[in-house]
Amino acid sequence: MIEATNLIKEFRVTKKESGLRGALKGLIRPERETVRAVDGVSFRINKGEIVGYLGPNGAGKSTTVKMLTGILHPTSGEILINGVSPHRERTRVVQNLGVVFGQRTQLNWDLRLGESFELQRRIYRISDDRFAAQMDTMRSLLGLTEFENTPVRQLSLGQRMRGDLAAAMLHSPSILFLDEPTIGLDLTAKQAIRDFIREVNTLHQTTIILTTHDLEDVEQLCKRLIVINHGRVVEDGPLEDLIDRLAPYRQIEIDFVQEVPVIEIQGVDVVEVNGNRMVLQFDRRAFSAASVISAVTQRAAVRDLSVREPEIADVLKRYYQDSA
Amino acid sequence: MSDFLNSCKHYASVGSFQGRMALQRQLEYPLFLVSWLIMIPLKYLIGVWMLKILVDQFQPLAGWTFPQLAFLYGLGMLSHGLMVVVSIQSWFLDHMVIQGGFDRMLLRPLNVFFQFTFMYLNLIGCVDLIPAVIIFVTGCSLTGFDWTFGNSVGVLSVVLGATLIRSSFYTLTACVAFWTKRATHMRAIGHDLMERSTLYPLSIYPKAFQWILTFVIPLGFISFYPSTALLNINHGTALPLEIAMWTPIIGIAMFGLSQIVFNRGLRAYESAGS
Repeated sequence: MIEATNLIKEFRVTKKESGLRGALKGLIRPERETVRAVDGVSFRINKGEIVGYLGPNGAGKSTTVKMLTGILHPTSGEILINGVSPHRERTRVVQNLGVVFGQRTQLNWDLRLGESFELQRRIYRISDDRFAAQMDTMRSLLGLTEFENTPVRQLSLGQRMRGDLAAAMLHSPSILFLDEPTIGLDLTAKQAIRDFIREVNTLHQTTIILTTHDLEDVEQLCKRLIVINHGRVVEDGPLEDLIDRLAPYRQIEIDFVQEVPVIEIQGVDVVEVNGNRMVLQFDRRAFSAASVISAVTQRAAVRDLSVREPEIADVLKRYYQDSA
Repeated sequence: MSDFLNSCKHYASVGSFQGRMALQRQLEYPLFLVSWLIMIPLKYLIGVWMLKILVDQFQPLAGWTFPQLAFLYGLGMLSHGLMVVVSIQSWFLDHMVIQGGFDRMLLRPLNVFFQFTFMYLNLIGCVDLIPAVIIFVTGCSLTGFDWTFGNSVGVLSVVLGATLIRSSFYTLTACVAFWTKRATHMRAIGHDLMERSTLYPLSIYPKAFQWILTFVIPLGFISFYPSTALLNINHGTALPLEIAMWTPIIGIAMFGLSQIVFNRGLRAYESAGS
């Protein structure tokens, strides 16, 4: 279980001014300011949950993850991982953590992949029997056999990521942090990683915290989302609830036989007209799609229509735009 | 007690495997090693040859004859070579701080200072040891150094202690990066100071400088003081001869200090990038 209470992380940075004059000024009398990267974040994640930790670039995601994993010390606030503070008892906490940074491998670049697993075996004191059993599981879940003896530098990005995941899971941690695990991967590789994540979660009740910009990851894996922006938690809840609350509309795209008719229905908005095509949007709690379709077909002949459900992207758009 | 032994075994197992991995990694690029094999011995052999020219053309350096200078130069180089083998990473600590290189170490259930200290074995250091051995053996033979049991233990303990002083000194200077995020200049100054104070007798420098290199930054214990003791040279030394062989004690003290400063620095570590 992960408990974060009122986490704050501040960094002291030197203000940079432009030009030679600014550089000289910075040298003689540097102006320092405090930047708050994480500003009062609190949440609680239970065993076995898969939580999407989302937010735009610079929102404070990585800083939070680094505090939860003991890399950074919070300026104030409390973190408990399975009841233990990572800052007071780092080695005890990390014994039970697996961490994968999508953009930074922990594998040894120049050596065959298997050597990195051997190092993990020694670091986490995994017994020979347990190691053999875990390796068998990893081979079958991630298909490692074909490239286990290849130097890491020669692996494709997808293979490398599979290797990283295996290295992070060899000691069977109860909590797995995944920082953009599917970044840069092709569709098949992404799917393999997602299947693996689902599998370890189901098999071992592993708690998984996933930071990603890939909304497909979120839709396929996360039942709960925590959205952070400007260092604060702005949303926390089940994915469906968030969509219901923040994107409670549904859209119908209609292709008319002839010209687009004038549609004036209370509570239904025309959001797009393009030739014979029209997109209508309405509050799905107030109207059923059937009632809107029936009202439209009474006014004009329809060739084709489709109903669009809101997507996670619509929910997140407002935060991402806000930060842009 | 058994917990302690288990822990030692654990660390030894990880440390030795990391060392092995480092060696395997370098053997992947053999040509790189060959280029160093030519450059480094040349650099230091030319250095000692220049000393010979200086002494032959002018006069002994602060009373030191060429055989004594070769002994000192060689003794200093032995710990330099050994440091380059076991502790080259202390030269790059500042890069690791700036690029977030300690993240992975902090995620492992092991002491970070241990991981940093035993993360690498550098084959190129063996290349540094070649001129070191040649020059030291020449120095020993020219000075008629007597390889008694006591003297042999003395040389060995000085070389090991001096290796500790060197790597701790580099670690300490690079630790500045934890707070300033930049330590390249410190490293460059440290490197120059190290070369100039360990390959030539300290007594050629002004008294104040000698005093600093004895009591503030005790680099004098790497080769100068031990050479005076081992060769029984009395001219121009600031220390009584008994203390001159304290290199291992000072090495251990500096190693302890570097660990304290490193751990303090780690608290200020900001883990750059995402």
